[in-house]
Amino acid sequence: MAREECKALLDGLNKTTACYHHLVLTVGGSADSQNLRQELQKTRQKAQELAVSACARLTAVLRDRSLAADERAEFERLWVAFSGCLDLLEADMRRALELGAAFPLHAPRRPLVRTGVAGASSGVAARALSTRSLRLEAEGDFDVADLRELEREVLQVGEMIDNMEMKVNVPRWTVQARQAAGAELLSTVSAGPSSVVSLQERGGGCDPRKALAAILFGAVLLAAVALAVCVAKLS
Amino acid sequence: MAAGPAPPPGRPRAQMPHLRKMERVVVSMQDPDQGVKMRSQRLLVTVIPHAVTGSDVVQWLAQKFCVSEEEALHLGTVLVQHGYIYPLRDPRSLMLRPDETPYRFQTPYFWTSTLWPAAELDYAIYLAKKNIRKRGTLVDYEKDCYDQLHKKINHAWDLVLMQAREQLRAAKQRRKGDRLVIACQEQTYWLVNRPPTKSADFYKREIEYFRKALGRTRVKSSVCLEAYLSFCGQRGPHDPLVSGCLPSNPWISDNDAYWVMNAPTVAAPTKLRVERWGFSFRELLEDPMGRAHFMDFLGKEFSGENLSFWEACEELRYGTQAQVPTLVDAVYEQFLAPGAARWVNIDSRTMEQTLERLRQPHRYVLDDAQLHIYMLMKKDSYPRFLKSDMYKGLLAEAGIPLETKRRVFPFTWRPRHSSPSPALLPTPVEPTAACGPGGGDGVA
Repeated sequence: MAREECKALLDGLNKTTACYHHLVLTVGGSADSQNLRQELQKTRQKAQELAVSACARLTAVLRDRSLAADERAEFERLWVAFSGCLDLLEADMRRALELGAAFPLHAPRRPLVRTGVAGASSGVAARALSTRSLRLEAEGDFDVADLRELEREVLQVGEMIDNMEMKVNVPRWTVQARQAAGAELLSTVSAGPSSVVSLQERGGGCDPRKALAAILFGAVLLAAVALAVCVAKLS
Repeated sequence: MAAGPAPPPGRPRAQMPHLRKMERVVVSMQDPDQGVKMRSQRLLVTVIPHAVTGSDVVQWLAQKFCVSEEEALHLGTVLVQHGYIYPLRDPRSLMLRPDETPYRFQTPYFWTSTLWPAAELDYAIYLAKKNIRKRGTLVDYEKDCYDQLHKKINHAWDLVLMQAREQLRAAKQRRKGDRLVIACQEQTYWLVNRPPTKSADFYKREIEYFRKALGRTRVKSSVCLEAYLSFCGQRGPHDPLVSGCLPSNPWISDNDAYWVMNAPTVAAPTKLRVERWGFSFRELLEDPMGRAHFMDFLGKEFSGENLSFWEACEELRYGTQAQVPTLVDAVYEQFLAPGAARWVNIDSRTMEQTLERLRQPHRYVLDDAQLHIYMLMKKDSYPRFLKSDMYKGLLAEAGIPLETKRRVFPFTWRPRHSSPSPALLPTPVEPTAACGPGGGDGVA
């Protein structure tokens, strides 16, 4: 069904945009590195692929005049969400370009800002690319060519947005959000099982460290109890 | 439609320069050898590096800029208030304390200059994330903003919630320490860039601003482009860069005859200068020689008091504050009093208003009268001056300076023509002549 397909593409784009936003936050800070720039490149390329296919599908559907009114309303909602997502992506790409140019990594003119973020961001990039883990090794001057490509891609995305607006005309005021204010609170309460599931997933991720800590603690506790018993027996 | 709205009125991008200066200070603080000393922040289990104490920051600023501690403290507070450094223990109080309170640097993404202006969509996403994380405990102004945004960008609300959830899930992929730091950074940004409280005054100012904007005069581009072309055509021969300057360009030939000849007060002004007096009345008045000749002309016509009055008004406007009362009295005595020696002819309404305002003298009391006299001179005396024999005589007398002659001996040669205009294209060199030396250079 066209609707499910479009919804899936939109969800994918949404996820990739959120991960890209999260990665761009650290550009220029202490976690900035050539690897981060490569992760940014892969994430935004994936986002652009998704955007192009979603754009094609949605445009094809919305230009079809023989569409029922309620279906059209549904697709218009998806369209508005999609164009908003694309605007966010373009804004983040522009900021990445600006920050990447201001904090170059190849010839360190400026020291990076020590922000306290030190860890690797490969988990976020892996989530964006829907893979389990990501291992990248970028060369020493990756960001030079990357900035030029980024500039071109920013222009491409801008053109895509312009083309979209030309082809399909969806007035924003006709679209009404389905969810009321504060809907996210209800959903977190009602999605109790899903949050438990996500906790378990996360627990699975850091299991080794937590298991080790639990074992050590148990051992120390046992030793303390044994000593107390010995002291009690002796005295 | 766009992720960010247009910049709000009344806050032009002239704000940027001081942000750039602050950013340079922050970046110089990051120097590993000469920057601020970094410590680690120890929470229960996690250790987060790159914390600084308030006293370290104040000392570093005092040392780097050689200022007193008080000034360094003020500078540090300005940095905190603009969000470049944020406190770790009490995030809502944006001030620098010169003691052991820990601070940390803001990431460049959340600097005010990068994320300018603060977008509604981003704020909505942030509030939704906070709602999800804190299960609905938002501060009052945040709750109001949330409701307002829900009404304002209702069409994008699905996107807001989708993005909020996904951003939270993406953040979970990081270590706990990094997650905390990023959350603090975002919170600081939105504390610094809170939407302003919109009181009745704010709306009054907005209405005033837009009313003025509507009333601005607009000129069609066809009209103003024609005016621009005629201006360029008229002034072209007078511009030393476009048409060269005679006798020679002092910067090239080291001969400052050009400057000597065009000094403000010189006995014989050049022809170009005299022609310029005919372009507009303002040119005539701005040139001291032109003004002197105009004064002579008016003296012959027995209307010299107009120009004297105008000059006195200029002196009042641009003079010192202490002189204002005495000058105003002098002007009144000489030009405006009923039986004055050099009484100027101003229309009755302006005269009445001026005499009223002279009771409380300040710099600009005579503005209306000055403008009246200026327009009178411009419409009446100035055209007559241009048609007068005196002006025609000046034009005929004024000479065009000769170009400097070429000296006989080669080592004292100066450039023959006036400096080549950069607007002209260079003449093409013959290919053979170019290849010869070029080939020779290549071989060598």
